[in-house]
Amino acid sequence: MGAVQDLAGSSSEGRPTPRLERIAILAGGVCTPIGQDVDAFWSALLTGADGISRIERFPVDDLRVGNGGEIKKLTRAIEWSRVPDCRASRLLVSAADDLLSQAGARPLPVAPERLAVVVGTALGGVEEGERALAGEVGRLPRALYDAPAHALKRWLGARGPAITVATACASGATAMGLGAELLRRGEADMVVAGGYDGLCRFVLRGFNGLRSLTRDRVRPFDGRRSGLLLGEAAGLVLLCRERDAGARRLGTLLGYGSASDAAHIAAPDPEGRGIERAMRGALAQAGVDAGDVDFVSAHGTATTLNDASEAKALRRVLGARRVPVNSIKGAIGHTMGAAATLEAILCLLAGRHGQVPATLGLEELDPACDLDLIQGAPRALRPRLSLSTSLGFGGCNAALVLQGAA
Amino acid sequence: MRGPAIRAIGLITGWGVGADAVPPDAVAAAGGRRVLSLERPALDPERFRRSPRECVLGVAAVAAMLEDAEEGPEAIAGEDTGFVFVTAAAYAASNRQHIEPRGSNVYFPYTAPAAISGEVAIEYGIRGPYGILIGGPTAGADAIAHAAEMLEAGTCRRVLVLGVEIFEECADLYDRAGGLDGPLVEAACGLWLEPGEGALTLSRGRSRRGGAGGARRRLGEMLACEPLAALALHRASGRQGPVEIHAAWRGETASLRWSHAPYRARRRAA
Repeated sequence: MGAVQDLAGSSSEGRPTPRLERIAILAGGVCTPIGQDVDAFWSALLTGADGISRIERFPVDDLRVGNGGEIKKLTRAIEWSRVPDCRASRLLVSAADDLLSQAGARPLPVAPERLAVVVGTALGGVEEGERALAGEVGRLPRALYDAPAHALKRWLGARGPAITVATACASGATAMGLGAELLRRGEADMVVAGGYDGLCRFVLRGFNGLRSLTRDRVRPFDGRRSGLLLGEAAGLVLLCRERDAGARRLGTLLGYGSASDAAHIAAPDPEGRGIERAMRGALAQAGVDAGDVDFVSAHGTATTLNDASEAKALRRVLGARRVPVNSIKGAIGHTMGAAATLEAILCLLAGRHGQVPATLGLEELDPACDLDLIQGAPRALRPRLSLSTSLGFGGCNAALVLQGAA
Repeated sequence: MRGPAIRAIGLITGWGVGADAVPPDAVAAAGGRRVLSLERPALDPERFRRSPRECVLGVAAVAAMLEDAEEGPEAIAGEDTGFVFVTAAAYAASNRQHIEPRGSNVYFPYTAPAAISGEVAIEYGIRGPYGILIGGPTAGADAIAHAAEMLEAGTCRRVLVLGVEIFEECADLYDRAGGLDGPLVEAACGLWLEPGEGALTLSRGRSRRGGAGGARRRLGEMLACEPLAALALHRASGRQGPVEIHAAWRGETASLRWSHAPYRARRRAA
């Protein structure tokens, strides 16, 4: 394996954890309900744009809640005939097109054999399965969850591995962690990593059935919060080894940690012990202390249980220090596999621009979530070190430690 | 990377339990059957009342792995056990059930691949670092490599690599979609990996034909479980020296090579 440099931190049981080679994040690319490029996404977050609307792409009238963060039209000038007619693949390719623009390189400056794709998803190509079972049999081969990653690989002209991870709503973080691992192992020189998920009846029906969706607006960490809304998006980053990166970059991935709750299939551990272990693991891998963290991009789904348990875990990890926290799910909904990557990009944009967006929907902070939530208006803050948290079905937890470009 | 040792293997397939049940030629042994199915294991019906078959098979494969290790569940409980789950399609049956509604929405969380590993983690109290990979045989190879990295990075002391594949509920769809040859053999396989000696290398390539791994002739189509089951076959063969496992999927190939035989001697064999 590549470049184990020194012993940086320790695990929860006191084992020394080797600090791994740092990974440069050269650029980000997004496709979201509030913007289909990084600049539009960032401006929309700062101005408090609301990406939630009535879903129009498929019938929702029979559902208890039919709102979500839907992308009404894919607007990038892409030769769509080269991309499968599959929502998930097209979201990914749209974000990749932005990524190439942000990176200022088309094609990417790497041999195709040395370019890998690692993407995460909660739903994969499930909408293709839905449509196939409704009679469009030709869509069946795209119903497996790894199909969109291979579509992205083909579009990029990559010939390295295409890997799909599916740690539910923590998938985007897992993909970035695994992408970093491929680089350290020397299996690739660049990795396009991130996550995606599209809205479809399958997932809307499921979350409606669980009564997880709110009829109100999404209110992360608010005392009146009553649930989440789903969104669709893709977020990608371009990773390379720090020693191979030039000066131009969005930031650095310092650490990744993950942990399993082993508590419940669909609900987080009420005490947040799994996400706490993930955060501590990411900090240990980064070789930094919790006291170094300047900002937290929280999972903050606005469900009663998630926000309370996440707040408990954050207080234990961060201690008495008041660290600014936000959640962007009020603006775009819970974008599932895309969420963690979008939030990582947000952390790095905050470092670049010296501002952190407010938590849209938060008006009255829940005393049980006693954190320094950014609310009302963006806060002037240039985080050097950020922590991003993600939780998902199956007890999946993941955390990223990110450093903004100086 | 450093080569992980294989402490134990639990293999359940449509052919039976363990490597000894695997025939020399899958096509001949299948006798024209398209799917070699696995029964739902008879585990606690109350505890697993909502769990679909793929979840219970995962739990059963880990039980078989623990039996192979001659250890109880407490040996893998806690934060020191990492967990990598891999599958290409085990979630498809639950996806289909949700698309063609035949049950309550309380089953919706079980449509996620993470439900399978989640159920196993709950059953055995596994709380360490984790990963879930989706894909065919190459994803199985990636899962083993990822587990080796977890051990080398020191984030855990042991890693459970679990693969599960089921086909029965969607066999008609696979036939209509095409692309999967040979008998579809349901499988669940757990590997217990721990720090070892020597080296493990993962080589990648491309294969226009998406050709079969070396073990597939015996195993049949097991998708992501193929590399894990191939290790079980190799261990059962008693061969010494380096081990090579080959996998192919969607035009990509991945080969794992241990510089030496990675199997830890079982107590009863010692």
